[in-house]
Amino acid sequence: MGRGRDMDDEDELEEEEEEEDYEEPMMMEEEEEEEEVEERAGSARKRRRSDFIDDVAEEDEDEEDVDDDEDDDYGGANRKSKPRKRPGMDFIDYEAAVDSDEEEEEEEGEDDFIVDGGTDLPDEDDGRRIHRRPLLPREDEQEDFEALERRIQARYARSSHPEYDEETTDVDQQALLPSVRDPKLWMVKCLIGKERETVVCLMQKCIDKGPELQIRSAIALDHLKNYIYIEADKEAHVREACKGLRNIFPNQKIMLVPIKEMTDVLSVESKAIDLSRDTWVRMKIGTYKGDLAKVVDVDNVRQRVTVKLIPRIDLQALANKLEGREVVKKKAFVPPPRFMNVDEARELHIRVERRRDPMTGDYFENIGGMLFKDGFLYKTVSMKSISVQNIKPSFDELEKFRKPGESGESDITSLSTLFANRKKGHFMKGDSVIVVKGELKNLKGRVEKVEEDNVYIRPEMKGLPKTLIVNEKELCKHFEAGKNVKVVSGAHEGATGMVVEVDNHVLFIVNITTKEEIRVFADDVVESSEVTTGITKLGEYELHDLVELDNRSFGVIIRVESEAFQVLKGVPEKPEVSLVRLREIKSKIEKKFNVQDRYKNTVSVKDVVRIIDGPCKGKQGPVEHIYKGVLFIYDRHHLEHAGFICAKAHSCVIVGGSRSGGDRSGDNYSRFGSLKAPPRIPPSPRRSPRGGPFESGGRNRGGRGGHDALIGTTVKIRLGPLKGYRGRVVDIKGQLVRVELESQMKVVSVDRNYISDNVVVSTPHRDTSRFGMGSETPMHPSRTPLHPYMTPMRDATATPIHDGMRTPMRDRAWNPYTPMSPPRDNWEDGNPASWGTSPQYRPGSPPSRTYEAPTPGSGWANTPGGNYSEAGTPRESSSTYANAPSPYLPSTPGGQPMTPSSTAYLPGTPGGQPMTPGTGGLDVMSPVIGGDHDGPLFMPDILVNVRRAGDESVIGVIREVLPDGSCRIVLGANGNGEAITAYQNEIDVVTPRKSDKIKIMGGAHRGATGKLIGVDGTDGIVKLDDTLDVKILDMIILAKLY
Amino acid sequence: MFFHIILERNMQLHPRYFGRNLRENLAAKLMKDVEGTCSGRHGFVVAITGIENIGKGLIRDGTGFVTFPVKYQCVVFRPFKGEILEAVVTMVNKMGFFAEAGPVQIFVSNHLIPDDMEFQSGDMPNYTTSDGSVKIQKDCEVRLKIIGTRVDATEIFCIGTIKDDFLGVINDPATV
Repeated sequence: MGRGRDMDDEDELEEEEEEEDYEEPMMMEEEEEEEEVEERAGSARKRRRSDFIDDVAEEDEDEEDVDDDEDDDYGGANRKSKPRKRPGMDFIDYEAAVDSDEEEEEEEGEDDFIVDGGTDLPDEDDGRRIHRRPLLPREDEQEDFEALERRIQARYARSSHPEYDEETTDVDQQALLPSVRDPKLWMVKCLIGKERETVVCLMQKCIDKGPELQIRSAIALDHLKNYIYIEADKEAHVREACKGLRNIFPNQKIMLVPIKEMTDVLSVESKAIDLSRDTWVRMKIGTYKGDLAKVVDVDNVRQRVTVKLIPRIDLQALANKLEGREVVKKKAFVPPPRFMNVDEARELHIRVERRRDPMTGDYFENIGGMLFKDGFLYKTVSMKSISVQNIKPSFDELEKFRKPGESGESDITSLSTLFANRKKGHFMKGDSVIVVKGELKNLKGRVEKVEEDNVYIRPEMKGLPKTLIVNEKELCKHFEAGKNVKVVSGAHEGATGMVVEVDNHVLFIVNITTKEEIRVFADDVVESSEVTTGITKLGEYELHDLVELDNRSFGVIIRVESEAFQVLKGVPEKPEVSLVRLREIKSKIEKKFNVQDRYKNTVSVKDVVRIIDGPCKGKQGPVEHIYKGVLFIYDRHHLEHAGFICAKAHSCVIVGGSRSGGDRSGDNYSRFGSLKAPPRIPPSPRRSPRGGPFESGGRNRGGRGGHDALIGTTVKIRLGPLKGYRGRVVDIKGQLVRVELESQMKVVSVDRNYISDNVVVSTPHRDTSRFGMGSETPMHPSRTPLHPYMTPMRDATATPIHDGMRTPMRDRAWNPYTPMSPPRDNWEDGNPASWGTSPQYRPGSPPSRTYEAPTPGSGWANTPGGNYSEAGTPRESSSTYANAPSPYLPSTPGGQPMTPSSTAYLPGTPGGQPMTPGTGGLDVMSPVIGGDHDGPLFMPDILVNVRRAGDESVIGVIREVLPDGSCRIVLGANGNGEAITAYQNEIDVVTPRKSDKIKIMGGAHRGATGKLIGVDGTDGIVKLDDTLDVKILDMIILAKLY
Repeated sequence: MFFHIILERNMQLHPRYFGRNLRENLAAKLMKDVEGTCSGRHGFVVAITGIENIGKGLIRDGTGFVTFPVKYQCVVFRPFKGEILEAVVTMVNKMGFFAEAGPVQIFVSNHLIPDDMEFQSGDMPNYTTSDGSVKIQKDCEVRLKIIGTRVDATEIFCIGTIKDDFLGVINDPATV
């Protein structure tokens, strides 16, 4: 700093200059009663102080952050008292020394700093002296420096910028402007980055050469690269001076700076901070860093502002200091902001003086050199140590500032702040505004057009011109209660709500979702119909997520703040909300659990429950999260905790049905299902309303994967919380099986070992298939009598297997626990017809094979054998099965043969069941499978529908089956019409009705005739004509006899 | 305000409901679907008073569902700004109180409650005048004026005021 002080003093040059200033008067109280305590009253005192108030200053040092800005400024301030060095007094000498090198002022500041030597500035220097001279003589005569002091005080107290008094007037400034007679300024190109060096070289050259060098000055500007300015009368002088300098290229063109622009070269480009009184600012440095302050006075020339702050003063420490006691150095500790209480200070024996500011007439309390008023600290700081841009004081801060005064001034002040922070495009067309200043104050209107700073408004009041042009600064946004708005800036940015009250320019907004009330400035708000709850996401967590916290607890995020979340903890006893930072959250819990309510009903997410116990008894709402037996229920009538209630599962009861199933597969069906109260809808129709393309996928997968045969089977859960439930396997994931529960319309995951698939569930399956048949169309062909042997050319859509597949399942012979070894008789007795259509049978019927050879019985024998090797069937059936897929695959229903055999792999699958999957799957399959192959062979004398291209189907009677598979048919129900030949794919068997005469087209009784005495689903009860035996046969193989 | 208007809706009916009772089924389903809902434009559908006309059904490909355009008469309730309503207080807290007028929830902020009424917390939070003569608590009936509505697709929310002449408590069951 080089201010001619010793090292000690330098340390004491602290940020809180004014504090020091105020200490000074204390030392000389006796003569200073009338003296102002204004800092600007003369930095002379400052100097002096640094000499003789060492003790105090030293104690100061612990509180201070020495700052360059401050120092610069200090220097600047001192500089202005330059003239006073003339008296030759001690303390003024100091000052002269100090300011010599610390210039940052505009014109002089710049050249003082850089100009080489200063030897070559006669003109300008002279000019300056002329200005100062008038001051000098008077000062010279002073002998007593105390008297001088007073005089200076008196003189300068009246003006805030003493030495520039004269200069600041426009006329004087004009006089200083360069004219044609003045030396010119030349711009010279030099090496980039060497600007300063070049200037220093020139200075050296000047020193060496003396008056030979005819340039006046050389200037390098920090912000201008590649160029320096040289002041000289002639270009030749410049060239001369530049000759030989290695940083300047000799042949460079030298440009003359036009006279008008000369001042611009040397004027410091100020950021044009429009700092006015009552603006909110923030402190940048020191103890008050970040604190909000209000500007009470601005000294533009000295770049200083007086601000009002809430003091952060540790009175005890202050007392200690003032009494000269040892002060413990505690840098880290910053006292909390608190209004200064004079009485408290007095109690601590701190001297409080009450003085009147001669300028404003206000009284200030002076404590330890600091000025207080109404508890606020008034502090003068450099403009550089405050930030002015983008100050958005929060309401809390404003509230604090408002406290002691309790006057309505805060609104006015906040207005000025608002203006300071307005962005471009603040007003938009259509905004509702109110005029806040000027003659039109309180006029309301709508924005019509915005043009730079002027806003065209259409006043609401009648009798005024249609459009008024108002300056933006005179306008403020205006809202009325009941408007839906959105906050677009400030602390609550993003929040929405409805205005409930307007208090000048402050709006009270109630957020509709959270029912919270916030206060915002009208200027921060736009009209909007949007609804948000403010920010809803922070990091990877969103509002209403269930999260696991660090300390093994968990909870629901009920509010997202800027840095943290409010989490309602999963403690059912009492609502516990904690503020959790982002990093304190371990993870999001996304797993879905099911729990049981008090009455052991399964509760899953989205079910509506009522709380019947505990503090929130009686509340009701959908379950949002379930974790560790704790439910998080959302009740929109519950206003606390964003509507979330945490309750134990067993203190809740489920209300109505479970919804989750419907929610999951939101197809029409389930929606319809929800119309009916009980959700007990058989699974298959719901899953495959149209006959099962989905299932076919499942089936194929089953075929491919082999062991996935379980898919589609009906199983019973035998262990775990869902014990006793039955359901259908929809998917298998490793050891977990996804089971669609029959009773709940939802899918749960259970361990594979927990299920038993020995539920033969004949009934549900039959129901299922019946349902399938109910949808008729695809099924119809499947009723066609069929016989595998004779089906080379079946109608593509026919699906004979369909019902046949099921038959065995129902049969008692399929009881897994019945020994399977002597199958034949058993079968023939039991249900002879069925094997003809049994799955095994069909697979065994590709055209390539001789069908006569494997008897039906053997076919059956194969089946169980294949499934249960342990059953000890003599045949190597498993191999048969293993082979089976390859030849059949194209023509057989996808993977069907695989199914039984593959199930055999299943560990722990009880014996007989493997068939179930096969059949179960197949019946759903049928419409799809049907497409690809052989149907039954027709027999003479049966009634059929003949479909002729373009015609409707005609009924007819098969007279003869031709060797090529086509049939000779006589049209007409009585067989007396036209005779035609039709291919099998044009023929559909007429399904017999009860009491019809029928002919059996397949199985052991093929060719036999009988009477259909009853129909049971897909089975017909048939009384055979020749034996009078009653048989139950599949309808598919029955045809109506002519 | 209540309105009796005619609305139209396309109803999807499952084939299982076809048959003699189709119309009845359609009506029943319409009531189930529509009554109690809220549309931003018309407000809450309070009741269906009759079916004007059922158009021709259209069978949807693939599902077998049939879509019927149904015109029906219904009573709707839509709150308007400036409307005076009578409502039942459902909840009182320090921010104000909530009241319900049928399906509409109305919030009366404490700014919109007369200044002489103060919030009393406790078991039965309420707003009471300084002399204790008027008390707003749960289940009271109040007359209020709607100053703002917020209409969503599924909900209407209002802000009301009782800071006006002739507004306030009209009947307090607790004192009766």
